[in-house]
Amino acid sequence: MRRKQSRWPNHGSEKIQATLYGIASLAVLLLLWIAATSLFGWIGARILPSPFAVISRFADLLIDPFGGSTLLGHASGSLERWSLGVVAAVLLGIPIGVSFAWMPWFRAVVNPVFEVLRYIPPFAWVPIAILWFGVSTMTQASVVFIAAFPAIVINSQLGVQQVDRILLNAARVYGAGSLKTLKRVVMPVAAPSIYTGIRIAISNGWMALVGAELVVGKNGLGFLISQGQNNDSVSTIFVGIISIGALGILIDTIVHRSEAILLPWRKKLAKAESS
Amino acid sequence: MRRFNASRAFLISLAACVGWVLLWAWVTGAGGPVSKLMFPSPEAVFHRFLRMWTRPYLGSTLSWHIYSSLSIVLAGWILGGIVGVPLGIAMAWWKKLKWIVFPVFQLLRPVPPLAWIPLTLVWMGIGDPARITVVFIAALVPWLMNSMQSVYSVDKLLIDAGRTLGANDRQILTRIVCRTALPTLVAGARIALGNAWTTLIAAELLAATAGLGYVALNASRMLDTDVLLVAMLLIGILGGLLSVAIQLATHVLAPWSLRQSGEE
Repeated sequence: MRRKQSRWPNHGSEKIQATLYGIASLAVLLLLWIAATSLFGWIGARILPSPFAVISRFADLLIDPFGGSTLLGHASGSLERWSLGVVAAVLLGIPIGVSFAWMPWFRAVVNPVFEVLRYIPPFAWVPIAILWFGVSTMTQASVVFIAAFPAIVINSQLGVQQVDRILLNAARVYGAGSLKTLKRVVMPVAAPSIYTGIRIAISNGWMALVGAELVVGKNGLGFLISQGQNNDSVSTIFVGIISIGALGILIDTIVHRSEAILLPWRKKLAKAESS
Repeated sequence: MRRFNASRAFLISLAACVGWVLLWAWVTGAGGPVSKLMFPSPEAVFHRFLRMWTRPYLGSTLSWHIYSSLSIVLAGWILGGIVGVPLGIAMAWWKKLKWIVFPVFQLLRPVPPLAWIPLTLVWMGIGDPARITVVFIAALVPWLMNSMQSVYSVDKLLIDAGRTLGANDRQILTRIVCRTALPTLVAGARIALGNAWTTLIAAELLAATAGLGYVALNASRMLDTDVLLVAMLLIGILGGLLSVAIQLATHVLAPWSLRQSGEE
């Protein structure tokens, strides 16, 4: 890893240059957008609204309800359903993943079903979720759950499998029971991998939620976009897309940052491995 | 943590499979606790599957729905490769191009590909182009990122060593650059195809006149649970087959990459 970096250097001055190029490129794009829409009107507002129209639409949506609630209402509705599905996936996925690794017979029994279901993409579950739960919070939360669950199970299993056999034997020699070994020896080693699983699950879940809300629902950012489509309001679609992207980044940043706080030993571990 | 040998685990899995199907049959069968309107029995799914090949459902037979889904996935995926691979390699080669294009990508990447569906529908209407565009967007990112990465993964030391030992440019390209770069590229192709398939299913739920996602959504609205399950299982199986096909292609084109990426 380290050698690779030195071969493709990223010196300070080059970084500044790259940033400048990036800013320039984005600025040119923005200017082109303005020129094409509000300045010369090459492209009609029904196809591509000007950036100013999008901003003013954004401000409107913050105050005026559209499709039943304001932008914040849609966002909080989405977040609620998303967290419901993700929390359920975490609560169920970690024990199942750990027992996959801990009890091979359990894995042998459950894995065929798990593998078959895993190959079906989360969105393919939307129709059957509608059938089972109707148009309700449960429909979307269950789709989020299905999108989030496999990543947690697989990474929990991988994490537990990483545990050094010698450590387990040592724990047994010192008289630790099964449960104590799990808590004191296995979990600290497996935690980083489980955390990675949760992180993947969180972003998969967010994507699936958007898809589910586009198809079915009465509220949420995905619903806002589909309402924009039905009302031929491209600026609303833009506001929805931007909000979804921004919230996605925000969630991922929070999860990424909190890792250092929740799992302080991971950094030390990584350092010990690389030296 | 007890270890099982592989054959024993396989036997248990096999027995478990039979057990699961029997459980399914019992639960959904006559007098079972689950109604046919909620979940069909395995026989019903199987019969429906056979019937759908000859009798049209929603205007087309099963083979046409499958063809419709697969052709759009492949079109979007190939387009993604045609744009993504050269662009990725060029971005790795010319730093300035990367500096210009990459920020735009970083800006667009957090948006789930699905969120583009309504926009493409407004722009292009309900037709194949809208769905191909969305699939293209979903496939483009992995194609591009891995092509870029594959250039970086080529070890300069190896090239220098090759040159010292008297290899000419062609040998360096075929024996060193391609060999080290292909595994990353192939991995990108596989991720791109997986993304494309997932995204297409979502796109078909929203706007389509044929395809497995379209069948699934309509079956759920008409309470045809057996059709719904046929469509879901086929979506899963075809997704699996696509990934197997890529693995096979990798075996033929770049057998060393399988060993390198540590897959069986």
